[in-house]
Amino acid sequence: MSNLLVPRSDVSEFRKRYRWLALVAFLAFGVIAGRLFQLQIVRGADYAQTAHENVIRRVTLPTTRGVVRDSQGRVLASSRSSFNVLLVPGRVMPSARPSRRARSGVEEPDSFTRIADTLRLNPDERQRLATRIRDACVTDEDRSPCWRPILVREDLSRDIVAEVKQHAAEMTGAEVVSQPVRYYPYKNQGAHLLGYTSEIDAETLAKYRPPGYEQLSAEERQKQNPLGYDQGDIVGATGVERSWESYLRGQRGWEKRVVDARGRYRTGPEAERLLDAPSRQEPLPGRDLRLTIDMELQQSVERAMRAHVAGAVVVVDVRTGRLLALYSKPDFDPNDLAGGSGKERIREAFNKLYTDPLRPMLDKTMSGVFHPGSTFKPFSALAALEDKLISPYEKERCDGYLSFGRRIFRCAHVHGKVDMREAIAESCNIYFFKLAESVGMDRIARVANEFGLGQKTGIGVNPEAAGRIPTRSWYALRYKGQFRIGFTLNTSIGQGATTVTPLQLALAYAALGNGGTVYSPQLVRAVETSDGAVVQDFPPRVRQKAKIAPENLARVSDALYAVVNEDKGTAYPVRDRTLEVAGKTGTAQTGYVNPGSDDPKKAWYLSRDHAWFAAYSPAKAPEIAVVVLVEHGGSGPTVAAPIAMQVVKEYHRLAAARAIKLAAAGGAKKPEAKDAKDGVERKPAPAPGADSEPLPRDPPPPDPNGPPAWLPDPNDEPPPADPGDEP
Amino acid sequence: MRSRRDQARFFGMPRDSFDWTLFLTASALAVIGVINLYSATSVARAALSDIYVQQVYWLVLGGILGAVVAVIDYRHYERLGYLLYGVGIVFLVLVFILGKDIRGSSRWIAIGSFGFQPSEFMKLFLIIALAKYLHDDPRTEARSIKDLALPALITGIPTFLILKQPDLGTALIHLFIFVTVCLLTRIRWQTIVGIVVSAGIFIPLWWTYMMKDYQKQRIEVFLNPEANLLGSGWHAHHARVAIGAGGWRGQGFMQGTQNQFLFLPDQHSDFPFAVFAEDWGFFGCLVLVSLYGFLVLWAIRIAATAKDRFGAVLAIGVGALIFWHAVFNLGMVTGILPVVGVTLPLFSAGGSSVLTILLGIGLLMNVSMRRFWVSPTRTTSLLSRG
Repeated sequence: MSNLLVPRSDVSEFRKRYRWLALVAFLAFGVIAGRLFQLQIVRGADYAQTAHENVIRRVTLPTTRGVVRDSQGRVLASSRSSFNVLLVPGRVMPSARPSRRARSGVEEPDSFTRIADTLRLNPDERQRLATRIRDACVTDEDRSPCWRPILVREDLSRDIVAEVKQHAAEMTGAEVVSQPVRYYPYKNQGAHLLGYTSEIDAETLAKYRPPGYEQLSAEERQKQNPLGYDQGDIVGATGVERSWESYLRGQRGWEKRVVDARGRYRTGPEAERLLDAPSRQEPLPGRDLRLTIDMELQQSVERAMRAHVAGAVVVVDVRTGRLLALYSKPDFDPNDLAGGSGKERIREAFNKLYTDPLRPMLDKTMSGVFHPGSTFKPFSALAALEDKLISPYEKERCDGYLSFGRRIFRCAHVHGKVDMREAIAESCNIYFFKLAESVGMDRIARVANEFGLGQKTGIGVNPEAAGRIPTRSWYALRYKGQFRIGFTLNTSIGQGATTVTPLQLALAYAALGNGGTVYSPQLVRAVETSDGAVVQDFPPRVRQKAKIAPENLARVSDALYAVVNEDKGTAYPVRDRTLEVAGKTGTAQTGYVNPGSDDPKKAWYLSRDHAWFAAYSPAKAPEIAVVVLVEHGGSGPTVAAPIAMQVVKEYHRLAAARAIKLAAAGGAKKPEAKDAKDGVERKPAPAPGADSEPLPRDPPPPDPNGPPAWLPDPNDEPPPADPGDEP
Repeated sequence: MRSRRDQARFFGMPRDSFDWTLFLTASALAVIGVINLYSATSVARAALSDIYVQQVYWLVLGGILGAVVAVIDYRHYERLGYLLYGVGIVFLVLVFILGKDIRGSSRWIAIGSFGFQPSEFMKLFLIIALAKYLHDDPRTEARSIKDLALPALITGIPTFLILKQPDLGTALIHLFIFVTVCLLTRIRWQTIVGIVVSAGIFIPLWWTYMMKDYQKQRIEVFLNPEANLLGSGWHAHHARVAIGAGGWRGQGFMQGTQNQFLFLPDQHSDFPFAVFAEDWGFFGCLVLVSLYGFLVLWAIRIAATAKDRFGAVLAIGVGALIFWHAVFNLGMVTGILPVVGVTLPLFSAGGSSVLTILLGIGLLMNVSMRRFWVSPTRTTSLLSRG
């Protein structure tokens, strides 16, 4: 055997090397130990912090946007859930992943076909989705888009959602997530005043989150972005949704969650241990709003306007300035714009609305300006009376026209000799031309301004137009040439450069009705918490008191009464015997459109006059003022006045019905009934047998034996008679 | 007739010279390694959770094979050196024919349900072949480039085959074993200068024409580690965070969040040290690094006491194997070297790796046990006593 083993050989060649090798090995491990010291001791705290941050994720907790209700507690805007389907590409189509076979021996089946069937995708969509998934799964490492969910379908119908949930086992990788979407149950009703919500746009977001925002401290962030806007957030775009955004929005909360490298949440004591306090901040739900609008009245306004394509109606409470109905036609369905149905659909809806020549997106009650026409005459008359320039009994002769130099100013009829009352009742232009000659433009403008015309009302909901009550200095600036008396004449009958918004006119007529108090229009009556407690209640606010002598005001009111109730009055033919209405018709010229310059039908339509009717009711103790504008509707007395009559009638019908209901509820539960005066608490429980609908908020009709309601001090509203107190 | 004495000489086993230091050091590493694997895979998916059990099986099998290797007198390996080398080369060629393709490279041959990685065992065959060459070529004067040509060829063939798989890490280990063995011998300084200069020319060419893109990417990540934290820098970054988060005393066994929450990739194969560092902190790491350092120094000591050239080169070769594996892996995990897939001896899970290291330790034991050999005449008397 020994021949197998080779003789031992000399090792002297190696002998000196061992020490060096040992030294090298020692140094190498020393370097590694030094590196460990650097990582674990010198920079250990930083790395520990990084490791901690790796596993802690702040998850934002959603808040719910406040609900908007009308004065009767009906929900006008709330949130509903929209169900969207998300797919995780790598799980839906494992066959698309490059390393599928390498990592696990088990063959995972594709759930793609099943999902596509369930979602009712057409072949084209199916093809596109498959391509998208394959593109995402070019790589499938831990952070590849292959594991990032993609949005496939928005706002699914309930049956598809149910199917996806029921067969979840067969649809690996598909997930249904619900997302709150603004919902407007009344659809088009009140669209302009409610507005709609939309996703925050890049420009607005940049204002709240300027570059470097992420680096700011928490307080600075709070200052820069108090409502915590983030990409993809929903914000109010117009109307109440926009102007009351800060109340409606609410505040998001957050919660710290323990998360692993794949983004999965971990629970249990092991994970809890890692959470540092504070670990959660509760979200604050948005505030609810109680509007002054009465949706039932709003709906009847819509019905009354059904025959016309464009216009605006304002109904305001004469005693408070609260808006009961605010209608602009044509309107739109905010549900189409609020999202949920997908971005493509929203874009389509916008395109349609913005190309409509009737301007459905414009809130004509406050953003649109129109010549007031004859509805302006009471203010011209007041200007004359105030400065005692004209005796109301003095008669002027109307021949149907009046010539000034080369120009001829026309009247609708030959009215013969008319005094002021008859001139208003019969709407004689000639009388007012002659009146304007002696009164002058600036005096008329002063009185109009006293009533808030030509100024923004400060409603603060949609971009408000100021309108214009021209003065001599305005004309001097605008027209370089000589001032012409014709300007004054046109101003006196609400033509020329005179423009107002329907809202202004309604508030001015309310002031005519209530003895000269011009209220700030009020749309939001109270702010409430989500459980119904009142946070903030808004009392009526007086904007200004018109400095007009009461006897002059009474004289004009009397003339407005005559418009409707005397046989020569312009609105007499359409009066309703059961109603007490005082008002003024108006037929405002809009300027002639040459048929050659445009589509003849359109030109004909645009050449027609605006039909107006401005009124308050009941005439002796007014509760509401109504302004009806039918754009290019033609004659005010025949087109606008009947609509106003219908609205007034509806108002009284509703008020009477509510008074009866209130009496029933009050009789059963006396103490709570008193709260109804306040109008904002929702808590009075309906009496047994009573309708479960919330109690009416409007004060009952004033006691006929009480003081006339048209001269009340608005800040000191007398308590309405409680029918429950009467035996 | 074969006498009992001849049998005893075939095994050549002086019982009293069992190297307890080597045995205990290696055992300590293996035990810590299994415990650490338990922590590393405790959270992971079911497919991984029995990895530490498999590791125990492999350690037992490796221990038995290592004992067998240690018992047979190493001079038999010297005799069969080139044959073993040839078998290794044949298996490397077989990889290209039968290899399993994983993540773009084929390194494995499937035997039943097990994967067998010939390149791991090739390291030992290379060491034996180099040892045999130096054994057969004793010199007292310095060696020139001509004298190094044959060992370079012996190293070059498997290195090239492994590079083609491609498996940069293992190829580098082969190369560095060769370099270490060369350092053991006396080389003319002109030759050293020549090699350094030609390497200076060759490496850029290699970078341009032979490196795979993923290999280049790893080196770029190493040179600029913070550039792409979510992409290719992910592994290196999270390993560093895990180690740093360990601090002085560590987060505690199975408490490291980087590992428990899956931020560490390949936590059982290439990055178990990061798990260990996070769990046990700087103190634990010092113990572990000291164990590796001690094992390497002990291998050098065994080489120094070896009584012939073959044994000395064998011990140095196995020492170099452990040294380079440990240094590459620890350097990679701590971020002082680029990420190359090199396992940490007795720490990384994997049958071929564990078997190779334990067979290597068996060789060390073999050389160590036969260090008291003095002269053929004394051998007889020693053996006759036992």
